[in-house]
Amino acid sequence: MVDTTKNTKLFTSYGVTTSKAINPDMAAKMISKAKRPLLVVGTGVLRPEILDRAVKIAKKANLPIAATGSSLHGFLDKDVNAKYINVHQLGFYLTDPAWPGLDGKGNYDTIIVLEFKKYYINQVLSGTKNFSKVKSISIGKDYVQNATMSFGTISREEHFVALDELIDLL
Amino acid sequence: MSKLTTGSFSIEDLESVQITINNVIGAAKEAADEKAKDLGPLGPTTWPGLATYRDDWNFKLLARYEPVITPMCDQCCYCTYGPCDLSNNKRGACGIDMLGHNGREFFLRVITGTACHAAHGRHLLDHLIEVFGEDLPLKLGQSDVLTPNITITTGQRPMTLGEIKPAMEYTEEQLTQLLATVHAGQEAAEIDYDSKALFSGSLDHVGMEISDIVQIAALDFPKADPEAPLIEMGVGTIDKEKPFLCVIGHNVGGVTYMMDYMEEHDLTNKMELGGLCCTAIDLTRYKEADRRAPYTKVIGSMSQELKIIRTGLPDVIVVDEQCVRGDIVPEAQKLGIPVIASNAKIMYGLPNRDAQDVDATIEELKSGAIPGAVILDYDKLGEIAVRLTQVMHPIREAAGFRKIASDEQMKEWVDKCADCGSCYLVCPEELEIPEAMKHAKKGDYSYLEDLHDQCIGCRRCEQVCKKEIPILSVIEKAAQKIIAEEKGLIRAGRGQVSDAEIRAEGLNLVMGTTPGIIAIIGCPNYGDGAKSVYYIAEEFLKRNFIVVGTGCGAMDMGMYKDENGQTLYERFPGGFQSGGLVNIGSCVSNAHITGAAQKVAGIFGGRTMGGNLAEIADYVLNRVGACGLAWGAFSQKAASIGTGCNIYGIPAVLGPHSSKYRRALIAKNYDDEKWKVYDARNGEEMNIPPAPEFLLITAETWQEAIPMMAKACIRPSDNSMGRSIKLTHWMELHEKYIGGMPDDWWKFIRTEADLPLAKRADLMKKLEGEYGWEIDWKRKKIISGPKIKFDVSAQPTNLKRLCKGA
Ligand code: SF4
Ligand code: SF4
Ligand code: SF4
Repeated sequence: MVDTTKNTKLFTSYGVTTSKAINPDMAAKMISKAKRPLLVVGTGVLRPEILDRAVKIAKKANLPIAATGSSLHGFLDKDVNAKYINVHQLGFYLTDPAWPGLDGKGNYDTIIVLEFKKYYINQVLSGTKNFSKVKSISIGKDYVQNATMSFGTISREEHFVALDELIDLL
Repeated sequence: MSKLTTGSFSIEDLESVQITINNVIGAAKEAADEKAKDLGPLGPTTWPGLATYRDDWNFKLLARYEPVITPMCDQCCYCTYGPCDLSNNKRGACGIDMLGHNGREFFLRVITGTACHAAHGRHLLDHLIEVFGEDLPLKLGQSDVLTPNITITTGQRPMTLGEIKPAMEYTEEQLTQLLATVHAGQEAAEIDYDSKALFSGSLDHVGMEISDIVQIAALDFPKADPEAPLIEMGVGTIDKEKPFLCVIGHNVGGVTYMMDYMEEHDLTNKMELGGLCCTAIDLTRYKEADRRAPYTKVIGSMSQELKIIRTGLPDVIVVDEQCVRGDIVPEAQKLGIPVIASNAKIMYGLPNRDAQDVDATIEELKSGAIPGAVILDYDKLGEIAVRLTQVMHPIREAAGFRKIASDEQMKEWVDKCADCGSCYLVCPEELEIPEAMKHAKKGDYSYLEDLHDQCIGCRRCEQVCKKEIPILSVIEKAAQKIIAEEKGLIRAGRGQVSDAEIRAEGLNLVMGTTPGIIAIIGCPNYGDGAKSVYYIAEEFLKRNFIVVGTGCGAMDMGMYKDENGQTLYERFPGGFQSGGLVNIGSCVSNAHITGAAQKVAGIFGGRTMGGNLAEIADYVLNRVGACGLAWGAFSQKAASIGTGCNIYGIPAVLGPHSSKYRRALIAKNYDDEKWKVYDARNGEEMNIPPAPEFLLITAETWQEAIPMMAKACIRPSDNSMGRSIKLTHWMELHEKYIGGMPDDWWKFIRTEADLPLAKRADLMKKLEGEYGWEIDWKRKKIISGPKIKFDVSAQPTNLKRLCKGA
């Protein structure tokens, strides 16, 4: 298995708490355990190699997708349950237990985030981290400090391998 | 005591004694208030203090648009009790919690921005009064409402430079009161910091208004002029053969002396004068009323500061204030460029040469004995800056400083790269420099070239590169061809929107036939290159929105050309009209953008302006479809400008980096309780659609920002034609940039007439099939379904006190 926990060097210091660095097996376990999971994807997902893997993850784990930024285009013909929402808005709604969610069935307990600029997702997750109980798992190629758990900073090639392993384990 | 006013008087029987009273505290304000009484009725909130807007307006706004806190860091390092760990909303040693601390942090950004503009206003006001006298009239163009922000806040309608003084003093007083709240943990409630931030934002627009109107009046800037001339912009417009005087910052005071000196000595064709940031925009406005041919140039925004220095082209750099980098002196020194600091706010530790003879100072700077000097005496500054530029040009040419790196040097740099990845990790734009370096090693420089447009020139990459590669210079060298072609056009800032333009456009805006006002402002810190701003502006202009711009946003809109070689400023008219592209001016001209919305409420809505912020803002929020874009919002000034728009009911979309401001204002679009207002005719509650659904938010990409902004132009009181036009644009833009139909389009439908015309039948089928609405197909009418009733004469308001019988 590719070791996705080795490089957790921070982009810049955001205080004392850091996310737990995890490997794909742990990510798979957390996703399977979640009661109301949501896959949150940023615009970077439109790279074909990633889009393909994101669709596989969603299908295999039966995850609804919050397609943020301008990522929805990628999912329209993929037979997955994807809806557009702005990620800043989503981060805020996640902190409200009364949010009906994207499907009207209630808020989520776990979000899985993929393909954002790290500074942006770090900021959005700083809100959910401090003001909600929602768990966040970052499976992008950069270490995201404000997630609950995150892959470390890995190369693009390693990232593809890690995502493939995750897909196998789901 | 209160009868004393400014001026002088003599005491009888003491013939040889004269007491001169220059200022009695409160007297100027009192006298001004006396005068304001003649100017019509005033609202309830003249000269507001920290608590004035709190309950009647700010808390109402914040109840719907809830502060969204995204801390930058989970610690507070503010005082010597700490650092405290505030994670999970814990309280620190002083008792403040994570929310309160981050409210304070955001508020600090806003008040810093407010102070910048107010201090700028004070500096210009004092300087211009000294030169032109207090009685200089405020001629600003065809307007009765000359100073909407000042008037709403203070009830004053100043007509001369001197009559602005009470508003200036008042702003300074409130700034002091506001700043004091930051101390230790005292104001612990996040919501109160947000209310204070909103108040500070309103003051910011007063400070900006003062800064811009005094310079328009005294320095002959264009006065509400849609035909203000087109100005060359971009690095590529600089003639390399000529000496080049480069000015950076945001205060045109000193630069006018350089221009006067150049004109008096017939030098305008013999050297280049150009600048970065708002000073550059303002120097193109100087003496524009005389219509002399424009010769000064706008080079670009703050992100170009290091890049332009690294070209080696500037022979002298003069800085003034605000958006100026802290490393100009060491960077300039490497290339033999003397730096002159011309404003007491930035002195860079340089020696002050005000008292020294001009020739001696030129000699000293020319010799390199000192890297630069502080010169605050504008007469000397004008002469020294211009003469020194001519002296330095041949010296720097001979020393080879004006040449960029050779191909051999470039290869040497690139080959040193160890692919360690450190630069990628720290680059705020997350640019893939190591990848580009790899390709460059193999001789393919195109990847490096591609980085140029996205790189904001911050130099963070260089600071971590253990191989000491000057990465920024590598990128710029790779992009030299593109840079040489960087030539655009910008309209010289035209000043405020005239009353005549408001009268002509107001009805269209309130009715929605002009779908909205898009204000593109803000400094450069773009997620995906300056071109995004151009794309956004073009999309809205083609759809007949009014696009207004200021500062760096206005510059970037002018940097690109269409297939016919035309910039947006050439393609679209400069008037405040449907499909017009209006460059209002520099950053401080942003006050005229809120001013335009306020004037719609005042002139068109017939609202009392003086002392009536809540009522004006309520009108704008419910009726005027305006939305700001600060795509690269970066500075504290952008935070205060945006927050000032917010208190006046104007939402703004910011770029992704602005999540680092730590706070947004977003409404819960799913909570029906948030979407109710009163009908002022009878005080009854009425449902409204979730519009606008935010006051401050970030977007991830420019493609995402476009439909968000179009949607934010939808307002509760749109009539059916307006609603249908606005929905048409939003839905088309959503389809184009996001994909498919938006999920919530139906929430905006009150009657069949609201439906976009081209898709009416289709959408009615959807309403029936997917949402269970009843349709009478014969009459093509909606029978039941909508939660929101349509009543053309309803008067939506958030202020119960405005309702009949209240
Ligand atoms: S201001 Fe309060 S929270 Fe901040 S360091 Fe001091 S004691 Fe801690
Ligand atoms: S100078 Fe450019 S490449 Fe370097 S860190 Fe800043 S934005 Fe990134
Ligand atoms: S930091 Fe320097 S050596 Fe490391 S990858 Fe970047 S350019 Fe190469």
